[in-house]
Amino acid sequence: MIEVQNVTKTYQRGAAEVRALRGLSCTIPAGVMSFVVGPSGSGKSSLLYLLGALDQPTSGEVTCLGIRISQLSGRQRDLYRRDQVGFVFQNFNLLANLNAVENVLVPYLPQGISAARQSEALGLLERVGLGERIDHRPSQLSGGEQQRVAIARALLKRPKLVLADEPTGELDSESGAEIYRYLRELRDEHGSTVVIVTHDRTHIQPSDHVLTLRDGRLATS
Amino acid sequence: MYRFALKNLFSRPVRTLLALCGLTVAIAGMVGLFSVADGIEASVTSTFSKVPGLAVLQPGAPIPLFSHLPSAWGDEITHLPGVRIVHPEVWTRANLIEGKPRFNPPRFLFGSDLEQASRLSYSVYREGIQEGRFLTSADRGTSHAIISRPIADQLKKNVGDTLSVDGLDLDVVGIYSCKSLLLDVAIIVDIELVRRASRMGENSVSNFYVEPEPTADRGELAQKIRDHFRGRINETRQPSLGLGAAEGLVISALGGSTEPTAGTGSDESAVEVRDADDWAREFKHFSEDLDIFLMLMTGIGVTIAFVGIVNTMLMSVTERFIEFGILKANGWSSGDVLRLIAFESALLGVAGGLLGGLLGWIATHAINAHWPTRIHLYAGPRLLIASVCFSTVLGILGGLYPALRASRMLPMDAIRRG
Repeated sequence: MIEVQNVTKTYQRGAAEVRALRGLSCTIPAGVMSFVVGPSGSGKSSLLYLLGALDQPTSGEVTCLGIRISQLSGRQRDLYRRDQVGFVFQNFNLLANLNAVENVLVPYLPQGISAARQSEALGLLERVGLGERIDHRPSQLSGGEQQRVAIARALLKRPKLVLADEPTGELDSESGAEIYRYLRELRDEHGSTVVIVTHDRTHIQPSDHVLTLRDGRLATS
Repeated sequence: MYRFALKNLFSRPVRTLLALCGLTVAIAGMVGLFSVADGIEASVTSTFSKVPGLAVLQPGAPIPLFSHLPSAWGDEITHLPGVRIVHPEVWTRANLIEGKPRFNPPRFLFGSDLEQASRLSYSVYREGIQEGRFLTSADRGTSHAIISRPIADQLKKNVGDTLSVDGLDLDVVGIYSCKSLLLDVAIIVDIELVRRASRMGENSVSNFYVEPEPTADRGELAQKIRDHFRGRINETRQPSLGLGAAEGLVISALGGSTEPTAGTGSDESAVEVRDADDWAREFKHFSEDLDIFLMLMTGIGVTIAFVGIVNTMLMSVTERFIEFGILKANGWSSGDVLRLIAFESALLGVAGGLLGGLLGWIATHAINAHWPTRIHLYAGPRLLIASVCFSTVLGILGGLYPALRASRMLPMDAIRRG
């Protein structure tokens, strides 16, 4: 269960102050696919970043997986991101210098890569259909392939929480459908809670949980 | 992670190369500058290790050229216990060689008492004879001369040739080489010949070279000689060296004085006695002063390199904010990011140090080869290792500020700024 209580988030963009979230309160059930939808500027991505401890709320409280995020130290946040959360970004956010398998292993580079972890990463790339492209750099992969590498990177952690920000925003519909299939498999296999920010409602199924935001507040649940 | 750091450096070759160039040039400059001081030290150590005796000079005279002593004092020294041979010497600068003024490198006429010289059990010049023969007592009153190899090469003279020095026509009978910039500067002739050329009276010498008995303690003997001349007056002393400002400055740096003291009848000794260690100490002191000067000069180069590497790392880090955001989003701690950037800049530092050290080392050898008789630079292992260590520290420090800046950012801040 994820609980968001009266959260505000304000940040500066140049000289302007952006009020991304304005006292948002909501809950997201564990182990389901949750979609956060709403118009641009409604605060969807900001909410996602707070859930993933990528950012800090200006006020309010976020509790994920029983952890009160705002009370975590810097190091605990790092560990939370590394061990509990998998991210999938709209623009993939792969590292250009690294090949596909190295990008999958990025979370564990500081600790050193064991042979077991390496073979797990190779298995995951195989599973997302990139077994033949493990040595390719992001620039040598299509958008859909890059996003699959990003999903393999998230899968490697077996995360309890997967946060995806417009994961199919830059993909064609076929690739998009494939990405959703992988995300649902992740939820089914590991019981992960998957929270997806999207404009595109075509992949939402009746059993999915939907949060609609407008102007930094909950419009309907 | 270290492989990742390497990949980061190689993936931005131009930036890496520029940072490397900045460091390499600074470190090569540092090696070059400090090799001057190390070269002087190496030359001095190697030269004075070849001179086993004591030099008795006028107090304060930096070198025998600026010393005048009564020649009669030689007999007094001879009778002191522990003294084996006293060799009177007269030194003067050779200004006009083969009709041309010669200022650089300096050349000296060295007048030797050939009778006494032949009795020395060891003479650095005699041991260095390469061609012809050394002077003997039979050469007294002749214009026979021994010249150093660099002088012979410079003037294209061989044994049997005639050499004109300050109006004297000398017959070259031997060529010596001590393989020392400080010793291979002399034209050795009979002492009376130099006395005439320099208009030094027959009662004066520049200095005495004292060869102790093999069993004598050098320190004690030096003290005995000093004590013997305590309170004496040197009537032949040089009141002033009559030097230009620049030469005076150099002599001051050598620990000497342009106004040699005379032994004024007070309790001070009228002579100064130096052994090889004293000479080495004087030069060491000089090279320490030189080190400070070189450090200041190197400091300018190092500051430029430091600013360059900070700038390079800062630009590199700034353009990689997104990358650091992604790394932190994937669980990299601030410490991990800090280590990554510090390692990258340390790698630059090590590479810059190695390249700079190598470049400096090659340059010192090239310079030594090009001007073998004029300069001796020495970039030893100590200097090269220190350069690599210094460059590494410089690299790490240069990357520290950008690394701290990047590591302290929240992941989304980093991604947004990128």
